[in-house]
Amino acid sequence: MKRVAVIGTGQTKHTKARDDVSQTELVREATTRALADAGITIHEVDAIVLSNMELFEGRALPEMWVGEGAGGYRKPVTKIATGGTSGTSACIAGYHQCASGLFDIVLVVGWEKHSEGATQTGMALTDPLWDRNVASGAVGNFALSISQYVAERGVTPQQAAKIAVKARRNAARNPNAHLQMDGITVEKVLESRMLADPVHLLDMCPQSDGACAVIYAAEDRAKKLCPRPAWVRAAVTRHDQPYIGDLDRRLVTMRTLRDAAREAYQRVGISEPLKEIDVAEIYEPVSYAELAWYEALGFCAEGEAGRLIDDGVTEMNGELPVNPSGGVLSTNPVGASGVIRVAEAAAQVMGRAGDHQVADVRLALATGYGVYAWSDVMILSAG
Amino acid sequence: MNNDTMNNGVIIAGVNLLFNYAAGEAASRFLIALRDEKKIWGTRCPSCQRVLVPARSFCPRCFVDTTEWIEVGPTGTVSAFAPVFHLADPSGFGNPKGLSAALIRLDGADTALAHFIGETDAPQIGLRVVAVFAESRSGHILDIAYFKPA
Amino acid sequence: MTELLRVSHTMTLSWRYGTSWYFAEFIRALRDERRLLGLRCPVCRRVYLPPRVVCGNCYAELSEWVEVKDSGTVRAFTIVHIPIVDPTSGQPRPTPYGMALIQLDGADTTLNHYLAENNPAKLRIGMRVQAVWREERRGTLSDIVHFAAMNNQTMNDEQ
Ligand SMILES: [Zn+2]
Repeated sequence: MKRVAVIGTGQTKHTKARDDVSQTELVREATTRALADAGITIHEVDAIVLSNMELFEGRALPEMWVGEGAGGYRKPVTKIATGGTSGTSACIAGYHQCASGLFDIVLVVGWEKHSEGATQTGMALTDPLWDRNVASGAVGNFALSISQYVAERGVTPQQAAKIAVKARRNAARNPNAHLQMDGITVEKVLESRMLADPVHLLDMCPQSDGACAVIYAAEDRAKKLCPRPAWVRAAVTRHDQPYIGDLDRRLVTMRTLRDAAREAYQRVGISEPLKEIDVAEIYEPVSYAELAWYEALGFCAEGEAGRLIDDGVTEMNGELPVNPSGGVLSTNPVGASGVIRVAEAAAQVMGRAGDHQVADVRLALATGYGVYAWSDVMILSAG
Repeated sequence: MNNDTMNNGVIIAGVNLLFNYAAGEAASRFLIALRDEKKIWGTRCPSCQRVLVPARSFCPRCFVDTTEWIEVGPTGTVSAFAPVFHLADPSGFGNPKGLSAALIRLDGADTALAHFIGETDAPQIGLRVVAVFAESRSGHILDIAYFKPA
Repeated sequence: MTELLRVSHTMTLSWRYGTSWYFAEFIRALRDERRLLGLRCPVCRRVYLPPRVVCGNCYAELSEWVEVKDSGTVRAFTIVHIPIVDPTSGQPRPTPYGMALIQLDGADTTLNHYLAENNPAKLRIGMRVQAVWREERRGTLSDIVHFAAMNNQTMNDEQ
């Protein structure tokens, strides 16, 4: 297996509706920026992996229609879709393609244009035998799991709101972030409309139009092309059972994320993640989920997640800044969101994160989260 | 959307979904020219020199921006055709009776446009055709109603 | 700047899902006998409801039917305030409404279903609930309208 590094990333400005570009052009915008960041042309790319939730935009085979925006003409192109995890799963698949030695340079592009489709109805198209009869959408299902998490861990609405505020404050320093909310406060989060108890509107992610690209290179090419590449040290993916009722207190146990993180930490030799990891970009579709992920990722002991945010440990100036980009809570083009996590983690390692750069990043974590309980974990490092 | 269970253990389900696709700047300009001027435009790739129709913002082969707008047609040559009697119509596109599906290389273009030909009983490869514009146009590819023998 | 166009399509899609012997048996018992059936895994002994053909944990084939009661314990709940499209009707579901994960007596999994109660102050994890059935059953999970708190449910509360 070859060593592989991220040598370039590119994102669009994420926003509510990009009327000025088609999906293909949106994808090309991110691709062109990633190529420029990596200092290569499309002709040097050997293979392409795409990520998109096709159902949301009702376009069958998006890899065919939109692939040319990623420069797919006469190249090996595949598409990955695993729900919210699609982007991180595509990044893991792209990493595998490069690490296998079959391809030297692999491009991964994820995108979504929620403004074009019927996302809520699309998300209700779950298992027709059972689940579709008793569906409440992503928010309702999260709220169910949150009730268990709150009951067992005692986190408060204020602590969750602090997560929502942190995300939007960080987003203000990221020109690509969708939500730009001046003067966001805990009070404003708690005063915002209730979607499903205890989840307020500002506890939830938005629906965005956007694309993001990541370029991998195998070791010798990476060293030649990039002064400080972000080396992939671990890439782990885990799935669980299909029905929400199969999962044992989803957010409390979050066994897929726990298992994936444990395996990734083992591979890298991380024993104290809070101390050793310099920055994390985690997939938090709702404020409460970030608290649950802190525990599953081993940033704190069980029941300590609320204290972590109270103490500012995961703020930009804290011991382990989480989601300097503003996270999914500020930007969520679903097929791109996982790629954004990896791109942001890589940019932090490469020292190219601009105004939301964390100082001296050597070790960065990126995660993906999909449907009821799918989890992806990647770890990138400077050395 | 509805979801019903039949006695034989088969579930019949259906859904209505509304999609609203952004054309983007290049395709918008192409569609507006159909609508307002009854003109067909392509864009030329500065690298391979091909004229792409419908107009596109970039050449997918060369991955560079197209720079030059070229008016093409309204005449062209049929490069493939297939009689279609019962087209499934999931997109809401109309398919007036008697039309054949066809690929038409418009004069001045290097790509073929997928569209329809009508007003002929004997379509053939090489047939010279001309665009027939719809009376009422909305900025849509079917603002060209079909092509007929030139 | 060019006028920017959008192209709109309404797509009407329909599907015909084949089910299986376990689905047919579950539906038959539900519709004709007002009974709920789960399937037990021969390896881990977990009782699954909804029934399915394979245990995800053990990858063992399930074939042993177990009757599950139409009463159970609330394991998670929320009150939904956003009008999502109800996939069974195509209409926005009237809000607010209660949702819960309910562990039916005799099952090891929980079932997501609706609650009669939509006041969060009257709900808690561990409370006992009972299915309210539709008068004329059609053979879907929606034949249970929702679950309502059991009489004297504080006394029966599972601690
Ligand atoms: Zn070209």
